[in-house]
Amino acid sequence: MALLEAEHLSIGYQTRKGLLRAVEDVSFSLEPGGSLGFVGESGCGKTTIGMALMGLLPTNGSIVGGELRFKGQNLVGISDERLRKLRWKKIAMIFQAAMNALNPIQRVGDQIVEAIRLHEPEVSAIQAAERVRSLFSLVDLDPERSRDYPHQFSGGMKQRAIIAMALACRPDVIIADEPTTALDVIVQAQILAEIRRVQKEMDVAVLFISHDIAVVAEVCRHIAVMYAGQIVEQGTRKEVFETPAHPYTRALLDAYLTIEEEDATLPQAMNGESPNLVAPPKGCRFYDRCPHADGQCRQEPSAWVSLSPTHKVLCYGPRP
Amino acid sequence: MKTGNEQRDAFAAPAGRRDWLAGGWAIFWENPIGKIGLILMACFALMAAASFVPPLLDPMYHPMHGVDPEISHATGPSAAHWLGTDFIGRDILSQLLAGARIAFMVGLSAAFMSIFFGTLIGMISGYAGRFADTVLMRLADMVMVMPTLLVVLILSSLFGQLRIWTIVLLIALFRWPGVSRVIRSQTLTLKHRPFIEAARVAGASHLRIIFRHIFPNVLPLALLYMTFRVTSAIIIEAALAFLGFGDPGTVSWGMMLQWVWKTGHMFQAPYWLLPPGICISLLTLSFYMLGRAMEEVLDPRLRKEGESE
Amino acid sequence: MTMEIRRYILGRLFQIMLIFFVILTVLFLLFRLAPGDPVSRMVDPNLTPEDAQRLIEQLGLDLPMWQQYLIYLENFLKGRFGISFHYGQPVSEIILNRLPNTILLFTSSILLAAFVGVFLGKIVSWKKGERIDTWVTIGALVCHTLFLPWLALIIIWVFAYWIGWFPLTGMISAEIWTDPSAGLLKKGLDIAHHMALPLITLFLIHFGSYLLVMRSSMLDTLREDYILTARAKGLDEATIRNRHAAPNAALPVITSVGLSLAFSINGGALTETVFTWPGLGRELVFAVSNNDYPLAQASFLLIAAVVLTANLVVDLLYAYLDPRIRY
Repeated sequence: MALLEAEHLSIGYQTRKGLLRAVEDVSFSLEPGGSLGFVGESGCGKTTIGMALMGLLPTNGSIVGGELRFKGQNLVGISDERLRKLRWKKIAMIFQAAMNALNPIQRVGDQIVEAIRLHEPEVSAIQAAERVRSLFSLVDLDPERSRDYPHQFSGGMKQRAIIAMALACRPDVIIADEPTTALDVIVQAQILAEIRRVQKEMDVAVLFISHDIAVVAEVCRHIAVMYAGQIVEQGTRKEVFETPAHPYTRALLDAYLTIEEEDATLPQAMNGESPNLVAPPKGCRFYDRCPHADGQCRQEPSAWVSLSPTHKVLCYGPRP
Repeated sequence: MKTGNEQRDAFAAPAGRRDWLAGGWAIFWENPIGKIGLILMACFALMAAASFVPPLLDPMYHPMHGVDPEISHATGPSAAHWLGTDFIGRDILSQLLAGARIAFMVGLSAAFMSIFFGTLIGMISGYAGRFADTVLMRLADMVMVMPTLLVVLILSSLFGQLRIWTIVLLIALFRWPGVSRVIRSQTLTLKHRPFIEAARVAGASHLRIIFRHIFPNVLPLALLYMTFRVTSAIIIEAALAFLGFGDPGTVSWGMMLQWVWKTGHMFQAPYWLLPPGICISLLTLSFYMLGRAMEEVLDPRLRKEGESE
Repeated sequence: MTMEIRRYILGRLFQIMLIFFVILTVLFLLFRLAPGDPVSRMVDPNLTPEDAQRLIEQLGLDLPMWQQYLIYLENFLKGRFGISFHYGQPVSEIILNRLPNTILLFTSSILLAAFVGVFLGKIVSWKKGERIDTWVTIGALVCHTLFLPWLALIIIWVFAYWIGWFPLTGMISAEIWTDPSAGLLKKGLDIAHHMALPLITLFLIHFGSYLLVMRSSMLDTLREDYILTARAKGLDEATIRNRHAAPNAALPVITSVGLSLAFSINGGALTETVFTWPGLGRELVFAVSNNDYPLAQASFLLIAAVVLTANLVVDLLYAYLDPRIRY
């Protein structure tokens, strides 16, 4: 049974101008111990999906359609009580390093202990502290530092601490939302290696969210490319990288120059702007920016095309 | 068809000074606090303006010198004296109206002066930096620690009975540090903006930069703080008058309270005790509300939370 | 204690002493340079010419300015502030006698206002937008803008005169304190009985601003990322607000208390005067009215010292509570 399953999931935000359809008809699944990455630009809805999974949507946001299942249990409309029990124990989250994710006036170790003792009340304070120390070792942090305050940690250290905290209750899934975005390149590589290692050692599934396709590819075996609230392409890492089918995916990949291509010219930047999600166009949402678009793309909503058992694309356009 | 970016821009501040003013007014008006504050203030302004009327009607209505020939003690409200008379037969209502005039005068002038000092010092401090900045801010720290009322008290012991304008000046001299800090931070932020760099490169002198470029941008903040300074100025003057150190030639609300208190009419003459205190409090409240509403206009973060992205 | 925190404390201490020193000097200059005869400000006009001359020599009023200044400093350090014109007693005795009364009233009113303000501000921020929020906020605002002496008079009128539950004036009842059999508890309660009304007056004026600061601080804090983390961890709302949000939100309130200390001492002086509470503020007002210069000067200096010390205490408290400063 899949660990996490979304079927025709739609999420919207109530705004003064109407319902903003941030996530439209999205379906995916995550196997135990698997890794799925969501890639896309800001506002494409990837963070919204992560928040919805944790039940952390803001007050004006709600799931407006479809189902979201964790181990078969539908998360849509479950009680706050049940949701709080799931949080952290089953599904944990790693936030952006730049965020103020740690309480500045509480010791880092204590914040992790809090999570442990909340979900496993039978654990004593001493045992919890021990577990914190071993978690710190696991993420390559000096266990003595668990008595320090967040401002005494560097950016990379804070991120490791956040990872340690996420692992504290041995969850089934970790949602990592842009965990490396604010870090410099070297630390970024270290953190990614950390996530990969931790995932293997603790056999935890990872849902990785990022705007950076290269980062996602380092950690995730499966990739879902998002644009304007929809998944436009989904496949294994290899398929998406080597044979991208959607023009947007291709544009994302083109934006990266590799050292081998010495004579490469800078890629064509995308024209046009992202669509209005309060009143989305009836045709393909990528129409404005797509170099291959035609009449059919404008009139009719795009349809899924399967390129392989694992690879599918939401597009009428040319095949790779 | 509106695109996503246009949608995002709709939430940003409108460009251009006129749009900003119109947009600002709309936000101000939406807020009930701003409305109430403005209405209250308008009432008091009317009172202040009306204060010239009673003595013209009949000399016995003069707040300081007018005495009703038939009454020479405190009496309650009557047809001739809507709020009654004080202990020597003067009309309380005319005193109240005159007090409104004094309150506005003291409040606005003291506030204006303290903002003037504070803004000047804040701009110089922020712009000049280093030594001047340190010295000025240390000075500000020292002045800020001083309890204004008590300082004016001790000064009045040295300089004798204070006239009203001396009081105003003294209040202004001790209340500028608060605004100067804020203006200084604002100046520091502005100092590094490209348009200032451009002006410097174009050869503008420092003075010109300060007054032509920085000043207009800190002005809204200065005006905001002015409303808060009005409240403290009114209160300090009233407290001074209450303690008996005000200008004996002016009838302020604080002075009225002093008379009630010192002549022992506190318990017997509610018609005399209540109005001045209510007026001081309401006028203070109205300026405070105005200030809060203005704050919302200037600081978008304080506005009601509406949409998300 | 780390090296940094020690340096911080010393730095603040030095700053405060510097400010006090400046005040001392400015006062000296003012008293000598203000219009009128400076001698009459130091020497009681009612003294006999011989006594007056002796005092003049003792205070060095016939010496050049800078020598006077040194004598002035020396006298200050030795606690010699002259003789009060009005009471005829050494000024230092009088002000030291008044000091504890002021500290008692001042400290308890600020503590009470701070605790209640923070507590109510926290609760009201949970219910933002609801009716209780509006009413409490308006109430706090109205209390804050009430004119203190007027409020004091009203309170006396209602509670001391009309209902008669509380005494009209003073700090102690003569009968109780002159009764040899009255124990500490009885005397203590008597003081509390007298202190109730001035305390309530000061409390009403100040709790409003602390409440409003705490409320807006809570609203800001609840938007922080670590609150999201706390929620993600599965903590319930009450724990999040009390254990994560409130302690962080309370820090700006402490700063606000520090900034408003000067304002608070103004209120303290007014309250003491109206309630005839025998404190430094009231003594200052009295002394100025009576042209009792030595007493006025000394009272002002001591009040300034109290405010500066209070500022230091608040700063230290903040440094202790915020680990970002302590470590």
